[in-house]
Amino acid sequence: MKRGWRNALVVALVVAAPNAAPAQKKPPAKKPDPMAGMPGMAHDTTKPSSKKPAVKPASNPASSTMAGMPGMKGDSMAMGMPIPMPKGMPMIPGLVGLTPQVSSFLPGAGVDPTKVAPVKPTQTVRLKDGDTLDLTAGLVRRTIRGKPFVMYAFNGMVPGPLIRVAQQATITVRFHNKIDLPSTVHWHGLRLDNRFDGVPGLTQQEVAPGADFTYTVHFPDAGVYWYHPHVREDIEQAMGLFGNMIVDSPEPDYYSPVNRELSLVLNDLLINADSLIPFGKESATYALMGRVGNILTVNGEPNYKLTARKGEVVRFFFTNVSSSRTYNLSLGGVPMKVVASDESRFEREERVPSVVLAPAERYVVEARFEKPGRYALVNAIQAINHYEGEFAPEVDTLGVVTVGDVPASPDYGSRFAALRAYPEVSRDVDRFRQYFDKEPDEHLTLTVKPNSLPLATVQFMNVDTAYYAPVEWVDGMPDMNWLSTSKQVKWILREDATGKENMDIDWHVKQGSVVKLRIFNDPKSFHPMQHPIHLHGQRMLVVARDGVKTRNLVWKDTAIIPVGSSVDLLIDASNPGAWMLHCHIAEHLQSDMMAVLHVDPAGGGSH
Amino acid sequence: MSLSKALAVIAVVVLGPYDIQLHNTPRTPNAHGAARLVFAESPFGVAVTADGHASYDVQLTVSGLPEPATLGAYKAYVAWGVTTDLKQWRRLGTVANGSSTVGRVEYNKFMLVIAAESDSAVVKHAGPVVLSGTSPSSFLQMFLAHPMFRGVAP
Repeated sequence: MKRGWRNALVVALVVAAPNAAPAQKKPPAKKPDPMAGMPGMAHDTTKPSSKKPAVKPASNPASSTMAGMPGMKGDSMAMGMPIPMPKGMPMIPGLVGLTPQVSSFLPGAGVDPTKVAPVKPTQTVRLKDGDTLDLTAGLVRRTIRGKPFVMYAFNGMVPGPLIRVAQQATITVRFHNKIDLPSTVHWHGLRLDNRFDGVPGLTQQEVAPGADFTYTVHFPDAGVYWYHPHVREDIEQAMGLFGNMIVDSPEPDYYSPVNRELSLVLNDLLINADSLIPFGKESATYALMGRVGNILTVNGEPNYKLTARKGEVVRFFFTNVSSSRTYNLSLGGVPMKVVASDESRFEREERVPSVVLAPAERYVVEARFEKPGRYALVNAIQAINHYEGEFAPEVDTLGVVTVGDVPASPDYGSRFAALRAYPEVSRDVDRFRQYFDKEPDEHLTLTVKPNSLPLATVQFMNVDTAYYAPVEWVDGMPDMNWLSTSKQVKWILREDATGKENMDIDWHVKQGSVVKLRIFNDPKSFHPMQHPIHLHGQRMLVVARDGVKTRNLVWKDTAIIPVGSSVDLLIDASNPGAWMLHCHIAEHLQSDMMAVLHVDPAGGGSH
Repeated sequence: MSLSKALAVIAVVVLGPYDIQLHNTPRTPNAHGAARLVFAESPFGVAVTADGHASYDVQLTVSGLPEPATLGAYKAYVAWGVTTDLKQWRRLGTVANGSSTVGRVEYNKFMLVIAAESDSAVVKHAGPVVLSGTSPSSFLQMFLAHPMFRGVAP
C-alpha cells in the first residue's frame, strides 16, 4: 500500500468527520519582547537582590500563569516552526498547519546570546552544618552543537552546584530569582520542614522575578537528591534549573570503596535544526506525553566524555531531570551493579544489564571498566512507530568512556565482584513488613480527560489505542503531542472512594502512621501512559507491583506506574505538613495531575 | 454505524496491555486459557533488556486440557514464546491444567503457543498446537490495518 494513498484516506476520514474542531490559526507574529530593563535581566546574575517576594499566591500550587508578569507580554518566537518528527513518520495530514493554542515563550526573549555569560562547569560545594549558600537562578548562554542558546542556570552552572553535605546537616540557602519567570526551589526527596518544600500556593508563595527566598534545608537521610523549581517545571527545569545533592553517611563503609564518584544528570533538549522549540506561555504544550527532547545531555552536554583507568571502579549517581523521558542506560557491556536509589541503599546489590530511570528517579550504580577501549553510554529502547504499527529499536549515544592501559590503583576489582547485602536497610524495613499485606488505605486511579483537542488528534488517538505500551520511551506522535496544551488535557489522580480528583482530594493521615496507597494506571483512558509518581517530604516503599511482592526493597520518593499496572506504595508518614503527590512529567503536572497528602501532627490538630 | 461509535466499540474490546486470551484448536475444543504478562523482577520496577525489550514472566491459567497421550504419542504440554514470523521459538516451560508461571519472554510482538510434545524436556517445538494467543503488542498495527479502516478501504 502506498503511503500517499494512506495519507489521502486519512485526510478523507478526518475531513469527513462531523463536528470538527475549528482549525487553530497561528497567532499573529509579534515582536520579540526585549525584556530590557526588566527585573532579573541584568547580566550580573550573581549579586543577590534585596527585593521582597511578591505576595501573590498561585491559584494552582504547581502552575503559574505568566500573564501579568514582567517580560511576559510578547512572543519570543513564532509557534509555527516545524517540530522534529521521528524518522519515516510524516505529520498527520489533518494536523498540518495547526499550532498550539498558546503564544510562545523562550528564556530571555530578545536577549542577544552573545551578551549573556557562558555556562560554567558545575562545581561541587561542600557545606557543613550551619553553612549558607547563595543560589541564583539566572540566564546563561549554552552552546549546543555549535549553536548558542539562552537558557537558565543556577549560579551560572548546568547542572547547578553539586551540594555535598553530611547526613543530618542543616544549611541555609538564599535563593535569588533573576530569571524572567516566578520560581521556587523544591528539594526533591528531602524529608525537610514543610515550610521549605518549595511548592507555590501550598508551602510558600512564588518568588517573583527579582525577589528572594531563604530556605532552611535539612538532610536526614544519606543518598542522592536534587533540587529544581516547582513553578513551570516544563520551562524552568527543562532549560537548566536543576542540580544534585549528595548526602554522605557517617558510616565509612556505607558504600563499597571505588576509585571515583561521578554525578551524571540526564536531560533532553528539543531543538529543531538550530532553534529551540518554543514553550507555551499561558500553558504548557506537549501536554499529552510531555516534552521529549531530541538531544540527550549528560551534565548539560550532548557529548559526555570520560577517561578511566583499566580496572577502575566508578560509582555513578544517576539523576533523570528530563521532563518526560524514561531512560534505559547501558555502558557497552561494562558490568554494572545497582546499589541504591532515591532515599536509601537496596537491601542487597544486584547486577543489572541496564539502568531504567523514570523522570525524577535516582540510582546509584557502580561500574568496573575492566579492559582498555571505548565504551558508549547509550540509551537503548524499543520505540513505537505508531504510524507503521511497529516497534523500532533506537540507540542514542550520550557519551563515551575511554579506558586506557594504565591500571587503576587501588584495585577494587574483588570488592566490586562481591554483591553486598545491607542488613541495616532490611532492619529498617522490618518494622514496616507487618503492613505489607494490609488492605490499601487509599486507592487512586490515573487517567486523563481531553478537552477541545483537534479532532484529528482525537480520531487518531482512538484508532491508535488498540495497544498501549506499558512504557512509552519516546514521543511517537510529536505532532499531536505538540498541539496539546495543558488547558486541553487534564491529567487526573482520582480517588476511587469518593471520585474526587487532584487537588479536590481531601487526604489526611496522622503523623507516624504507615499508609498503604494503591495506584492503578487505567489502560482504557483516552491516552494511557506511564506516570512517575512523586511524593514530597516522606519516604515510601514499593511493596508490590501487579500483586507481585518486591523482594529487594529500597526507600523511594518517586515510582514509575506503567500503563495498566497496579502498584502498592507503603508510605512512612513521618513528616508533618501538606505534601504534594504528583506525576513528575512536567507537562502532566502543569495539566493538574497533583494532589496533597496532609500529614497531621501527632498529638492532635488537623488541617 | 457512525465513525465515533465504531471507535467506541473498538476501544471496549481491547484487552489490557498484559493480557493474552488463548484460543483452542479443533483437537482440543474444551481447552481454555489465558495468560498474564508480569514484568520480571527488577530493581527498577520496569524490567527491560539492555536493548530495551520488555522482560515479562508469563503467568498461565488453563483448563480443559486432556491427557497429552489422548492426542497421540505425546507426554506433556509445553508453552512456547514465538515471534510473529514464526522464526524464533523460545521454550517457556511445561503446562498443566491450573495456574502456573512459566518462562520469560523478551520479544516485542509474539505469540504464545501451547503444544503437546513428545517429552516434557523438549527444546524444539514439534507437536500439535492446542492453545495459542497473540501478545497485546500485536494489536499495534499500521493505522490502515486497523479494523476501522478495513470497512472503508477499496
